[in-house]
Amino acid sequence: MAQKLTTCTFCGTGCGLYLETSEGRLVGAYPSLSHPANRGRLGVRGWHVHEVASSPDRLRTPLLRQNGRLVEASWDEALGFVAEKLQDIRSRYGPDALGFINSPRVSNEEAYLLQKFARAVIGTNNVDHGTGVYCHNSINVLLETLGVPASTNSLADLAHSEVILVDGVALSPRLPVVAGTVLRAKLAGAKLIVVGTRKHRLVESADHFLQILPGTEELLYGALAKVIVDRGLMNSAFIRRHCRDYEAFLAEVRLYDVAEASASCGVPPELIEQAAQMFARAQGAAVLYPTGMDSHTRDHVRALVNLVLLTGNVGRRGAGVYALTEHNNLQGVCDVGVLPDRLPGYRPVAEPAARAEVEAVWQAPVPTAPGLNARHMLIDSGEARLKALWLARCDPVSTAFAGDPVKLFPSFDLVVMQHVFLTGSAQYAHVVLPTTAFGEEQVTFTSMERRIQLAQRAVDPPPGPMPAWEQLTRLARRLGADWPYASAAEVMDEIATVVPFYSGVSYANLDSNFGRQWPCTKERPLGTPMLFANGNHGLRFVPVPKPTIISALPEYPLLLIFGQSLYYWNQSVLVQHSETLRREHRILLLDYPEGFVEINPEDARPLNIRDGNKVRLVASDGAAARTTARVTDEICRGTVCVPYFVREVERQILGSVGEGSALVWIRVEKEAA
Amino acid sequence: MKARIIARDDVIRITDLLRARGYEVLALFRDRGADEFFDVVTDANRSAIRWHALNSLNPPKRFLLPHLEPLMKIHRRNGGVQIEPAYDERKRAIFGIRSCDVAGIAHLDRFFLGGEYPDIYYEKRRRSLFVVNFVCTDPELDIGENCFCLCADTGPAARAHFDLQLMDLGDEYMAGAGSAAGEELFGDAIFRRGTPAHVERRRAILAEARRHFRASTSWFSAAVRYISEGKTREETWEAIGNRCMECGGCTYVCPTCTCFTMSDRPVGPHEVERARIWDSCALSGFTRMAGGFNPRRAVHDRRNRRFFRKLDHYFVQRELSVACVGCGRCATVCHGDIGMPSVVELIRRASSGSPARADLARDGMSSEQHEPVAH
Repeated sequence: MAQKLTTCTFCGTGCGLYLETSEGRLVGAYPSLSHPANRGRLGVRGWHVHEVASSPDRLRTPLLRQNGRLVEASWDEALGFVAEKLQDIRSRYGPDALGFINSPRVSNEEAYLLQKFARAVIGTNNVDHGTGVYCHNSINVLLETLGVPASTNSLADLAHSEVILVDGVALSPRLPVVAGTVLRAKLAGAKLIVVGTRKHRLVESADHFLQILPGTEELLYGALAKVIVDRGLMNSAFIRRHCRDYEAFLAEVRLYDVAEASASCGVPPELIEQAAQMFARAQGAAVLYPTGMDSHTRDHVRALVNLVLLTGNVGRRGAGVYALTEHNNLQGVCDVGVLPDRLPGYRPVAEPAARAEVEAVWQAPVPTAPGLNARHMLIDSGEARLKALWLARCDPVSTAFAGDPVKLFPSFDLVVMQHVFLTGSAQYAHVVLPTTAFGEEQVTFTSMERRIQLAQRAVDPPPGPMPAWEQLTRLARRLGADWPYASAAEVMDEIATVVPFYSGVSYANLDSNFGRQWPCTKERPLGTPMLFANGNHGLRFVPVPKPTIISALPEYPLLLIFGQSLYYWNQSVLVQHSETLRREHRILLLDYPEGFVEINPEDARPLNIRDGNKVRLVASDGAAARTTARVTDEICRGTVCVPYFVREVERQILGSVGEGSALVWIRVEKEAA
Repeated sequence: MKARIIARDDVIRITDLLRARGYEVLALFRDRGADEFFDVVTDANRSAIRWHALNSLNPPKRFLLPHLEPLMKIHRRNGGVQIEPAYDERKRAIFGIRSCDVAGIAHLDRFFLGGEYPDIYYEKRRRSLFVVNFVCTDPELDIGENCFCLCADTGPAARAHFDLQLMDLGDEYMAGAGSAAGEELFGDAIFRRGTPAHVERRRAILAEARRHFRASTSWFSAAVRYISEGKTREETWEAIGNRCMECGGCTYVCPTCTCFTMSDRPVGPHEVERARIWDSCALSGFTRMAGGFNPRRAVHDRRNRRFFRKLDHYFVQRELSVACVGCGRCATVCHGDIGMPSVVELIRRASSGSPARADLARDGMSSEQHEPVAH
């Protein structure tokens, strides 16, 4: 029996937990009482994280496709094949014929080396993480408004909030530790405002639930700002001292109208009034929004941040913006540069000075043009320019992330897959490289509160799999690069020289406490729990033009929402390899084996639709889809929700799988049994 | 109970005596921050054993009922089937187990060994286990914010189910034998005979320790009455359910929770491994029937099940105690503060019509006015 403190690898909360091992196997997991993010608590996934690595379905040896079948190969054969193919494709079609996508679950070291491999060894900026446009929206808006693309405050700080506003995320099932932190703040006296289309568990504890029609978020937040400005509740001293472009913002806010917003959003005007006053009068008000799968347009995020700046809720205890990450290392993979247009540390790839800094460390040129993003690579393979795709723990086939991989993948000359398990995408892979699993390697992850922390090696990996950073290192050497890394710690040492806000990070520093929150620099080696605590520099309002809301057509009265991410976990490969979690997440699929769309009972009743009935969705352009109805009052009246993992409806209605942000007016018909 | 006195510096030697007798000794250690856990004692870490310390968040229950326990391998070979059980008969000693957790073992014994068909896997582990109980006497270090063993009648000093009990008397420790195996240790020279003054000192220290429990009042009797008579309102359960994140943590850390699921997993071309894995009534798949019907579909219907099982008179009568040992761990791991002490309090207040209405509203229990329930 041995106990090892490590970091949970499910969601972005970054909980501290102990792995218990016995005779070389992981036999249990339990929370750390002292870890500042979770303080003795875990979500159901954290409690079962050990089941994933002990799954008997692990990949053990590299696989090479021969005569249409994947057959076992040695590491030498597999890496030799990949190196040769990569060189061949690059010389024939140029470096931009290769694309690299990773999962936002891979470690910082692995992510850093993947983008370095793409940029410095292959010579392309076609590198992205498979989370998509919403995360990019959040990053870009936070950079333009705050200058820092991450949560401003620590999770524990929510205990000091007077008001907490939760925007558009069913916190309890998705980020239970964050939900619990919010709930306990509420029980201790904080006020809770929940905004969103869906009625979820946390709504039961809310002081105000602003249930809005989808796509009207900017209008609602504009109206809240209008109330605050009209009542003189803005924090003028803060704005004067720290914020630019207030007048331009004000000019737009004046155009908003509470009554009009109320009518479009479906929220009573008095509720808008009360929520605005509650938010503005708080000593510390915090805003939480998801950055992963949910449709958050740039203007939506801008409107939220504007509200925070208007009330001076930056650099204060209990205040701040929380950009929630559902994936354990979404923050980290972005920090270390897995973005097609940004180098490590978020420096634009198009800026010569930024490239020069990175080139000095890498001793290799960095390509100048921004690369393809993941959706572009997956939807049309960059207008058919891509010939090879690298998938690092990313499984577009079974997770229905974007595009139609089943149609697209056979057109590639090379698909390389690195994974712990043989996923759905493997059937199209030419090479499968097995990686070590959680608990078998020492690497780092960065959580939603900017906490860079170690995940520890608690057991030896089974014979066969190799750490992903080592696979990339060996491959780079085969392609002639001089990569010296002998351990993941050495990779982090290089990250510290390239990413300015990681400059104080070393494994020794991370191992002395519960990780460090960036900026963790030479000057601030202990890290930074709260951003802007010592002054706010260059905060900026970004005016959001009042949106025009398209209203319903009489014959198509219901709004179809794609990409409902409540059921995000149902598709996670990790969940499928844990006995308990697979059982829990399969229930919905057992109840609705052909998938489902959700419809409110008030909308279902006049159509005589009951739970489990077959229904037909018809859009105004004639496109139609057949599916099963799940009747639930959790969703807003007037909407029909398609869960994240049911992409067939989207294909039939839109003709393709898009970004999930499209809203389509439809009518629903009951099908004859 | 036969008792002996040991010099303070000699107490650690009990771990040596046990190791010399072939036991793998598990004791409390501190890791990062204030994290405590039971881990294997070695020559290297022996001096780092924690004496007075907050009990470990993960209970020692797992040494008898592991979180994930491979039970057997089933091979298909030459047309036949071979079953190879994986019994764990390693001699283990838990050194410094708290009284609440000793009571937890008694609950496990009743469940796994008390009926007609004893669980052989549990039995083999249990027969190989040596239990050294440590009495909680230090008000700062031993007694946590959420401890309520006084109310559950399990501590601070266990009365049975241990092999050896240790209690700090200041310069010396008192050792009590709870079994022949425990008494056998008294043959070693570190154990001396005590005096009536030692017995008096033990009594005085225990009396003093009892005064330091901060969460001592947990009105079990009221909760047992309301639950057994079905007088707890649906709204109360709903309010409790709304605070549940369905993590299962309360059941995993509960020293008396025994529910498990079984899983057969292929581990080779002709080989299947059967494993026993902790399960939880908090999870919806736990009660869902194969045909799809779930009698406890709503979260609050699952959450109340936990408290029915622990507090209903039917079970109390059968087991002669509530199925709660007062360790307070469920309160610590709960996201929504609906561990045992809070739920007992919420039920008592919501059901009794006591003058705590304002508190109820503040706690988010319900904004509705509850009519008093007559008893």
